[in-house]
Amino acid sequence: MNTAPRIPDPDGFYAALLAAHEGLSEAHSADLNARLVLLLANQCADQEVLLACIRAAAEDNPTTDPTP
Amino acid sequence: MENFAFAPAYELPVWPFTPPPELNSAKLVRHPIVIVGAGPSGLTLACDLAQRGVHAVLLDEDDTVGVRGASSRGICYAQKSLEIFERLGIYERIAAKGITWSFGRTFSGEQEVYNFNLQTDGVRLEIETPAGSYAIEADRLIDATGANSPIRAQLGIEAHSSRSTDRWCISDVRFKKPLPTERWTWVDAPFNEGRGVWQHLMADGVWRIDYQMPEDCDTAYISKPEVAGARLREQLGPDVEFEFVWIGPYGYRDHLLDSFRHGRVFFIGDAAHVVSPFGARGGNSGIQDAANLGWKLALAAQGKAGDALLDSYDAERQPAARQNLQVTSRSARFLAPRSPAEHTLRRAVVALAARHPFARALVNTGRMSVANDYPPAPVLPEGARTVQNLPLHWADGRETTLMQLLAEGTQCIGLWFAPTREQALAALDATAALPLRLLAVGGESGLPTLRPDDRLAAHLGMDGAGGFALVRPDAYRAALLSNATPQAIASAARTALAHDDKTP
Repeated sequence: MNTAPRIPDPDGFYAALLAAHEGLSEAHSADLNARLVLLLANQCADQEVLLACIRAAAEDNPTTDPTP
Repeated sequence: MENFAFAPAYELPVWPFTPPPELNSAKLVRHPIVIVGAGPSGLTLACDLAQRGVHAVLLDEDDTVGVRGASSRGICYAQKSLEIFERLGIYERIAAKGITWSFGRTFSGEQEVYNFNLQTDGVRLEIETPAGSYAIEADRLIDATGANSPIRAQLGIEAHSSRSTDRWCISDVRFKKPLPTERWTWVDAPFNEGRGVWQHLMADGVWRIDYQMPEDCDTAYISKPEVAGARLREQLGPDVEFEFVWIGPYGYRDHLLDSFRHGRVFFIGDAAHVVSPFGARGGNSGIQDAANLGWKLALAAQGKAGDALLDSYDAERQPAARQNLQVTSRSARFLAPRSPAEHTLRRAVVALAARHPFARALVNTGRMSVANDYPPAPVLPEGARTVQNLPLHWADGRETTLMQLLAEGTQCIGLWFAPTREQALAALDATAALPLRLLAVGGESGLPTLRPDDRLAAHLGMDGAGGFALVRPDAYRAALLSNATPQAIASAARTALAHDDKTP
């Protein structure tokens, strides 16, 4: 799993991600995220890296309450 | 309200009771092998042993095969099972039956028809018949009694069973007008409140339509003819005429024994492992259990292999069952998501699959039964994998198949690519005491010779002349040698047959 910065335009990517979610209900946002995860996973195409990413995402322990 | 017609029950074959000779004899008969349970696994093993000329007794609790009435039967037979049936000489009849072959599943009955007693030097069985009881003894007992094995229960063996909350209801129906013979699967059918539906043709012109039901459903209510009929009407529209063959609500469970061998007792089929139905891995893996065990029991009974070969049954089939359990559990979980997050992920998979090929690989409505690879073990240093039933030709042009070659006697087949005459003679000498039939593929060795065949070489993983593949009687490749020598061939065969200094 590569955790060094690799996204060429981080702010542009983040803005595009937010724009895609704009106006969506929570359920539709969850659907969009799920589709995005699967599409990105297929770009990665490396089983070891995918499993490492799942572990890393599951380990993350948010310090803020996720419900606003 | 619409009235729904029912077809008559299946006619099952019946073999009337004839009193066994032991009933009127004081002599206690000892059999090398007793199989309990004449379902798909037990029958396959009994046929396998009979074809090898090995005496076995098959016990069952009734006078037929199949389930009385018109209820569910085994449906989908995978390639490996059909290859086993070809070796047993019954494939043609099975294929002629139609789309698939209906095979009755026999679970153990409710009443006790026998009990058994494990002794240090054998197994003693007390058998109840309509004409009284008698006893027999067995060197080895095969438990093919199915999911609710009383033998397993009596031995106190933990099955690690777990029950699913997923509920389904089968409607088996015949249509007046034929439908296209396609298998249709809905992960979330609009006419079934967004739950799954399976639809495919079986033998005898019967369609299986299997509806996923709510987890908390009333199984008696959902399987009433008028309720099941209304479900079909919703799906098919008002004009399609049909009659019911059977309606059956079901849940499923799984279990897996830690070991498939307990001394003189061997567990095969559902007695050893039960998985969810997705992918047809139940009956198919039971049939493969039988094919794995049959030749080993035969060689042991004939004194041509030692007890260690019988241990390999557990070493090979238990991991295969564990793999089947994992595969079917994943299908079951895809079909019955357990949380809102799982529903969300499945919605994403289904949405993407409509447009993107990669996502179709994630749609898991069941992964069809395959012949599992076997892991490395004492008799399989490199592990083993199935060898398909490729069509072959003798050097003089006559046709044969691997299964036809394996149907003759109980022996491994050594496929040797273009050996020399000197090598062949030396190898025949070195392996004379082993159940091994040496065949050449091409060359002028003097051995029985098959025509050179690129497809066979590629399938076996062979690269060029001098290569050797050791194929077991269950059509698994046990060893692959490049530049084989007579000594290496003899050594590979002894390893695969668990021959050491103590065994013949």
